Amino acid sequence: MLGREPAPRRALTLRGRAGVADRLGDPGLRLLTWLASGASMVLIALLVYKVFDQAGESISHFGLGFVTANVWNPVTRRFGAGSFIYGTAVSSLIALLIAGPMAIAIALFLTELAPLRVRRPVATLVELLAAIPSVVLGLWGIIVMAPFLNNTLEPALRSLLGWMPLFAGSASPFGLLPAILILTIMTVPIVAAVTREVFQTVPTELKESALALGSTRWEMVRMVILPYAKSGIVGASILGLGRALGEAIAVTQVIGDETGIHASLFAPADTLASRVASTYQGATSTLEISSLAYLSAILLVFALIANAIARLIVRRSTLRMRAAGPRPGLAVTVAEAQA
Amino acid sequence: MIKNKTAALAGCAALALGLAACGSSNSSSPSTGSVDTLVGAGSTLVAPLVSEWQPEYDKKTKVAVTYGAIGSGGGIAQITARTVDFGASDAPLSEDQFKEAKGVVQIPWALAATVVAYHLEGAPNQLKLTGPVLVEIYKGKITTWNAPQIAALNPGVTLPATKITPIHRSDGSGDTFAFTNYLSHISPEWSSQIGHATEVTFPVGIGAKGNSGVGGAISSTNGAIGYIAIAYVLENKFDYALIKNAAGNYPVPGIPSISAAAKTLTSVPANNEVSIVDPPASAPQAYPISTFTYALVPEKAPKASTLKPFLKWAITEGQTFGPKLDFAPLPEQVVKADEATIEKIGS
Repeated sequence: MLGREPAPRRALTLRGRAGVADRLGDPGLRLLTWLASGASMVLIALLVYKVFDQAGESISHFGLGFVTANVWNPVTRRFGAGSFIYGTAVSSLIALLIAGPMAIAIALFLTELAPLRVRRPVATLVELLAAIPSVVLGLWGIIVMAPFLNNTLEPALRSLLGWMPLFAGSASPFGLLPAILILTIMTVPIVAAVTREVFQTVPTELKESALALGSTRWEMVRMVILPYAKSGIVGASILGLGRALGEAIAVTQVIGDETGIHASLFAPADTLASRVASTYQGATSTLEISSLAYLSAILLVFALIANAIARLIVRRSTLRMRAAGPRPGLAVTVAEAQA
Repeated sequence: MIKNKTAALAGCAALALGLAACGSSNSSSPSTGSVDTLVGAGSTLVAPLVSEWQPEYDKKTKVAVTYGAIGSGGGIAQITARTVDFGASDAPLSEDQFKEAKGVVQIPWALAATVVAYHLEGAPNQLKLTGPVLVEIYKGKITTWNAPQIAALNPGVTLPATKITPIHRSDGSGDTFAFTNYLSHISPEWSSQIGHATEVTFPVGIGAKGNSGVGGAISSTNGAIGYIAIAYVLENKFDYALIKNAAGNYPVPGIPSISAAAKTLTSVPANNEVSIVDPPASAPQAYPISTFTYALVPEKAPKASTLKPFLKWAITEGQTFGPKLDFAPLPEQVVKADEATIEKIGS
C-alpha cells in the first residue's frame, strides 16, 4: 500500500529519458528468459544424448540382456545391471517405507500437536538434516553405524526375525541394511518438509468442523487431514524416492559394493549410482566405461519416471486444493525440494 | 545501465549455451605454447611420489609438471586420446590396450608393495599367513580366525573364533593388481576362476573405495582383513600379516624386503612388463607382494625434448625420494631397460 503512491511520479520522470531502455527492456527480458530456459533444455537433451551415446558400445554388445544379467567382471569383460537394479530398488523402497511414516509423524507434530514455541526450532533442525553432506553421513556410517550394526543391531534382528530370509545370514558391518538406514536419514527431512506444507493447506474450517462434531484429535487426523493430503503425501514420498535412487557417495561408503543378489539385508550389495561412483575412475576397458554409462542411462530412466509420477500426483493435488481455496505454498515447496 | 546489464546477462546465457554445446568434448588438455610444462594423469598409487617430484624438478629445470591422480583407467584413456603428455597406470597395458593406444610405450618408474592388514581384537600384530591361506580366505573357504590352517602357522598364539571379513578395493587399483597377481601366482585355480587385474570380481567379502575406504572398513570391523598400500598401513599403524615367501621365511614388509624381491629380476621383456610377485627362494628375505607402476608415453611425443629428460630424472635421481614414501628404488635392469625405451621416444 505504501509503495504504490510514489509510483506515478517515478513513471513521469522516467518517461523522458528512458525511452530506449523501455523499448529494449521487454524484448531483452524475453530474449534472456528464452535463452535461460532454452539453455537448460539443451543441457538436459545433450546430457541424455551423451549418456546414451556413451552407453552405445555396451548396448550393442549386451543388448537388453544387460538389464537382467547379474554379473560385473572386468577380467572376462562381462557386465550386467541386474544386481544393481535390485539393490537400488530394495534400498530405496525400504528406506522410503521407514522414512514415510516417520516424516508424516514429524509433519503432524509440527502442524497440529507441537506447542507453537517449539515448532520453528524443530522444523529447522529437521531441515538441517537434509543439509548434512552425504559424504559426511557416509563417513559416520563407516565409523559409528557399521560396528553398531555388526555387533548389536543385526544379531538382535536375526534372533528376533531370523525366520525371515531378509534377516537371516551372518551379520556384516557393510551391506544393504546400513545403506537403507543412511538413505532413510536422507529421505526423512525432504518428505517431512513437503508433507508439512501439504498439511498446512488443509482448510482450518474442515479441521474445526471435525472437532466441533466431537471427533478426537486422532479422528480428525485420520478422517480429515490424511485423506485431504493423501496425494500430496504420495508426491512427497516420490520426491524422497528420487533422492534415494540417485544417492551415490554415502551408499558406496557403506553398502559393500558387491555384485550379487542375496535375500539377506545384512549381505553386501550395490546400487546403480554407487557402482558408477565407485568404479568409473578405475575402469580400464572402453566396454566397462560404456557399461557404466548404460547403468547411468537406466538410473536416468528410473529417476525420470519417479519424477514424472511425482509431478503428476502433486499437480492433481494442487489443482484440487486450488479448487478448495487458494494456497500456493505446495508447488513452491515441491520445486524447492527438487532443487 | 539497464542495457549494459541486459547485454551482459544475455552474454552469460549465450555462454551457458555455448558451454552446453561443447560439453561433449574432452575438457582437459595440456597447455600449449610453453615448452616448460608437462601434463600427466593416471594412477593414484604413484601420485604421492609424483607430487614429491614436482617441486624438486621445477626447481632444478624450470619445468612444471602437472599431474592428475584420476586413476589408472583414466590415465590409459587420456594417453590413448593424447590429451596428456604422459599417462600412468598400475597395471601393464594389455595387448588390446596397446593396440588401441597406437604407439604408446610403458616405462616402469616406481616400485611399491601391498600389505595385508587386519583388525582382530585379542590377537597380536604380525600374525603369520601364507599365500594358499590368503587364497582360501578370499574365496570364502576359511571363515574364522581360529581355523586350523591359520592356527598351524601361529603356534603359541591363541586366536579368537572371530569371523573373518575379507575386504577388497571396489575401485580399480594397483593394490588389487598386485594382490590378485600374487594370488594368481600361488593358485592356478584363482588364476583361472578370478584372474588378476586392477579390478576383479571377488567371490566373497566387502568392497570399499580407495585405501582410506579399505582402511576405514578394517578399523571399524573386528575380524576384518584387507590389502592396502604399504605406506598407508605403516602411516596408520595397522596390524599387518607377515606373508611366507618362497624360501619359507616371513619377511617384514619394507624397503629392504621389497628391494630383495626386485633383485631377483633377471631380465626385462621388450614391452617392459615386469612382475616380482612371489619371488624365487634364492632371495631368502624377499617380500612376496610388490608391484611396479608404469608411465605411459607415446613413441612420437610432441614434447619429447621436455619429456625425455623428466623421465630419465624420474627413474634415476627421482628414485631417491621414494623410500620415505615406502617406494623401493628401481632395480638396475629396469633402469637400463627404461633408459633404452626413453631413447627411442622421438617427436
